[in-house]
Amino acid sequence: MDDHDRSFSFVDRVTSVQPGVLIRGHYAIPPGLDVFPASLVAEAVGQLAAWAAMAAVQFRVRPVAGIAGRIDLLTPVRPGQTLELAADLESVDEETAAYGGTALADGVPVIRLQDCVGPMVPMADFDDPQAVQERFQRLCGPGAAPGGFGGLPALALDRRGGEAGQPLHATFQVPVSDPLFADHFPRRPVFPGSVLMHMNLLLAAELAAEIPPPRPGARWALRSVSEVKLRAFIAPGDALELEAHLSSRSVHSATLAVETRKGKQVVSGARVLLAPEDEP
Amino acid sequence: MTDTNITKEDILAIHPKVAETIAAALGCEVEQVKLEASLIDDLGAQSIDFVDILFRLQRAFKVKIPRGKIVEEARGSLAESEFEQGGVVTEAGFERLRAYLSEVPADRFKSPLDVADIPRLFTTETFCKLVIRQQRAGATADAAKPS
Repeated sequence: MDDHDRSFSFVDRVTSVQPGVLIRGHYAIPPGLDVFPASLVAEAVGQLAAWAAMAAVQFRVRPVAGIAGRIDLLTPVRPGQTLELAADLESVDEETAAYGGTALADGVPVIRLQDCVGPMVPMADFDDPQAVQERFQRLCGPGAAPGGFGGLPALALDRRGGEAGQPLHATFQVPVSDPLFADHFPRRPVFPGSVLMHMNLLLAAELAAEIPPPRPGARWALRSVSEVKLRAFIAPGDALELEAHLSSRSVHSATLAVETRKGKQVVSGARVLLAPEDEP
Repeated sequence: MTDTNITKEDILAIHPKVAETIAAALGCEVEQVKLEASLIDDLGAQSIDFVDILFRLQRAFKVKIPRGKIVEEARGSLAESEFEQGGVVTEAGFERLRAYLSEVPADRFKSPLDVADIPRLFTTETFCKLVIRQQRAGATADAAKPS
């Protein structure tokens, strides 16, 4: 009986694995959800890579979100689709796991991760190492029961001031409790970096809509996220300030810089590449 | 361990690419990444930035750089307990660091030195030397392989 809470687990089954080298698997997006954002698809690829990394170091340490060199946002996914996940590991040791990976839905590439690095943290600080190992065995065997994810917590950004096209600022209060904290992580709840990235992308999309269009009949669309860096853990109840501003623009592309602060501390930063897309 | 076999010319030859790599990781101007710049105190690097810098250097120079390599090499033949005790660098460890990080101005070495504060000493030149050593170690390893 698998009694692990899977409210923030995005790998249902591992179909092949060479610990420390490569891993393949899949995840069925629960059909009852309203949306399944790209950042969670990236999370799924990262979680798959993490299994191969943890298996390579006998589950003594586990990677956490740290650096993503580039994430290409290729195609939106829909609830009900199954993600075919793949990750290739560049290196794994007791300090870091470096990897890249992809996800496909219905045979179509939906996301591509490159040059990602997850710093390793002691497994026992975050989860029961034995239980994690047993979960891995289950994923490699019959797989886990799908459908554990019930949706993201309310992510209402409280936008503050600013004129159209100017830097956008927003505040966000991390909930004190939410089902996802039972899974991420059982011994130390951490607000997921991928959910933070989702909020950064929401703000970026809002700013993109305010930038003068690249040409008549076109709009700016989010194409990729690069230089993602998570600098600190975010705990339940933390108050965050988010900012997005335009850092460069040409006819063919625009780049936004997004940043999150907790008080004076910068906890994350990234760049978002925009490209013209014809209005529907 | 000293670096008498790494010349200033060796370091200057590699500095532009190292500076470009560090600037990309820290999001600063490449001109700011001077040889003597402290990555933490002058350029604002944090723990995750060192991870980023090492991976970028690995990819840029195609060398393997294990995390912790600088301290490991500085420690040399000293046992861990001889190098640090209770999170503080011992006197012997302190001298090893001063010799190994010969590019770091003497006034930046403050005793007692917490192990956690060692990265505060690292300069751009520290990383230039690290890359050169790893390149040479790689070349030596390759030469030792049976053909």
